[in-house]
Amino acid sequence: MERLLHNYPYMVAVVLFVLGVYTILSQENLMKKIIGTNIMSSAIFLLFISAGNIAGGSPPIISKGYVPPEGVVLVNPLPAALILTGIVVSFSLTAFALSIVIKLHDYYGTIEADEILKLRSEL
Amino acid sequence: MNAAHHLPVLAIVLPLVFAYLMPLFDRWRRGWCTPAALGVLAVSFVASLAMAWQVMTGGPYYYQMGNWPPPWGIELNIDYLAVFTAITMTGVSLVVLVYASKDLLHELKPHLLGWYYTLYLLLVASMVGMALTNDIFNLFVFVEICAIAACGIISIKSNKECLEASFKYLILSTLGSGCLLLAIALLYMVTGHLNFTYIAQALPEAMRLYPYNILAALALLLVGMGVKAALFPLHVWLPDAHSSAPSPSSAVLSGLVIKIYAVSLLRVLYQVFPADIFEVTPVLNILLWMSTLAIIAGSMFAIVQEDIKKMLAYSSVAQIGYVFMGFAIVDFFALTGGILHVFNHAMMKAMLFMAAGAFIYSTGVRHLSGLKGIGHTMPVPAVAFAIGALAMVGIPLTNGFISKWYLVLGALHDGQPFFAAVILLSSLLNGIYYLPIIVNAFFSEPQGRVAAPLPLPRQMQVPLIILGLGCLLFGIAPSLILGLIYRASEALLGL
Repeated sequence: MERLLHNYPYMVAVVLFVLGVYTILSQENLMKKIIGTNIMSSAIFLLFISAGNIAGGSPPIISKGYVPPEGVVLVNPLPAALILTGIVVSFSLTAFALSIVIKLHDYYGTIEADEILKLRSEL
Repeated sequence: MNAAHHLPVLAIVLPLVFAYLMPLFDRWRRGWCTPAALGVLAVSFVASLAMAWQVMTGGPYYYQMGNWPPPWGIELNIDYLAVFTAITMTGVSLVVLVYASKDLLHELKPHLLGWYYTLYLLLVASMVGMALTNDIFNLFVFVEICAIAACGIISIKSNKECLEASFKYLILSTLGSGCLLLAIALLYMVTGHLNFTYIAQALPEAMRLYPYNILAALALLLVGMGVKAALFPLHVWLPDAHSSAPSPSSAVLSGLVIKIYAVSLLRVLYQVFPADIFEVTPVLNILLWMSTLAIIAGSMFAIVQEDIKKMLAYSSVAQIGYVFMGFAIVDFFALTGGILHVFNHAMMKAMLFMAAGAFIYSTGVRHLSGLKGIGHTMPVPAVAFAIGALAMVGIPLTNGFISKWYLVLGALHDGQPFFAAVILLSSLLNGIYYLPIIVNAFFSEPQGRVAAPLPLPRQMQVPLIILGLGCLLFGIAPSLILGLIYRASEALLGL
């Protein structure tokens, strides 16, 4: 139990991830599906960032010849750099998906997956 | 530091750079787009061949991006599997691009051609990158480039079917990359490294301390790559996406893109995870049964299809099953068969999709029953289709026979004759849906639009002839490529 409390960011990340996946799979509205992918990616970003964080650590901004004083711990900068890439990727996927939704709306006049399916079967 | 030392980075960066120059070329001199794209892919292909020569004569080596040594810098691993995959990807995509240069004028609006080349070159660059990289986060970045470019070359046609298929693919692909990124996060948490070699060194120790993290990472990796490679229960996006896309897109998507994810998964499973993890978890067994289901169910679905491209797409679901089956039976021959099938199926499926595209280009007929007698009026694509179909069934003297032979040999050698029987049964199923098309094409009288097809441009015939001869060549003399594959599977199995 104590371990769970200590690792609460991971728990939140897992709950968010599952929530996101559930949204993608269960929602008929295409916009909600896109929101689901974003919830899911945010969960992963949270997990990655909290894995690199050290409680009470200082930001890893150093110059040449800098030696951290005794007792100061620097936070791992690598996860932040990786997640920056991850955010860009997630952003571009979202932008692309939204542009497809706009075009689908032009064709069908709706963004509900089940209504689109119905319109297609009537043709 | 001579130029030969920098070949790996050349093979990736050149298509990447030219991808972004293509729209400019399109504005400035539209006629230069096609030669420039072809030239870039040809250079990439020659660079891959030269790397293969280096590796075969001097052994595998590592390339450090920007001279940053690992574990900080990104490393490229030029080994047997990497050069084999790079040759397959660049070679087949070069041939398909020749075909695309004519077919696209028919399927797309002319001003989109430059943008299509942008997406195409990005796709090839990312696939070569995935083949060569030795860094798990770099792999993720290439996976994402590949996903966006692959969706792009489907939705560029922007009719209703393409957009819907592309949206479905995009959402499921995002789901897959989410799983992949989570797996990378879990692996990084317990090992502190992103480089394959360093993760592999740190994993046995981490396995003892945090077994659940690693098991979760393994499961997520399997699902993430499984969605992208269309492994059977996760294949739902593939038939629509591959059948509605423009024909050259279908050829690369079905022939190459789903394979590169399978090869990446193979590399991570065999080179990163310690071998004893497969004794405590039935991962490879799960993979084996999923691939069995894929082989049977994919063929079953293909039998009932009426649309030629949809049938080929379901056939891809079955064929990716062979590749995974070869990877999951831990045996030298089966692994050789699986890797060989990546190459063989890339040639066959690209050729079949291009032949189907040629039928649609000249006659506008997509319906299988409408293609009766096409062998009389369009001999070149019909013969290419026949060779590809025979290779799919696995008739001797075609390349499909060789890879199935190795798979069956591996299954028997490993003491699992059931899976050998599955492969034989699926050959029969392949015969059920491919052979009637050939018979109808050559032994019926052409009617309607099939009787008077539009003439096929030479740029669309030559790729079919090249790949058709390739299928026969690698069926008669498989040793041309087997030397490389033997060494790749020896290295993967640690023999």
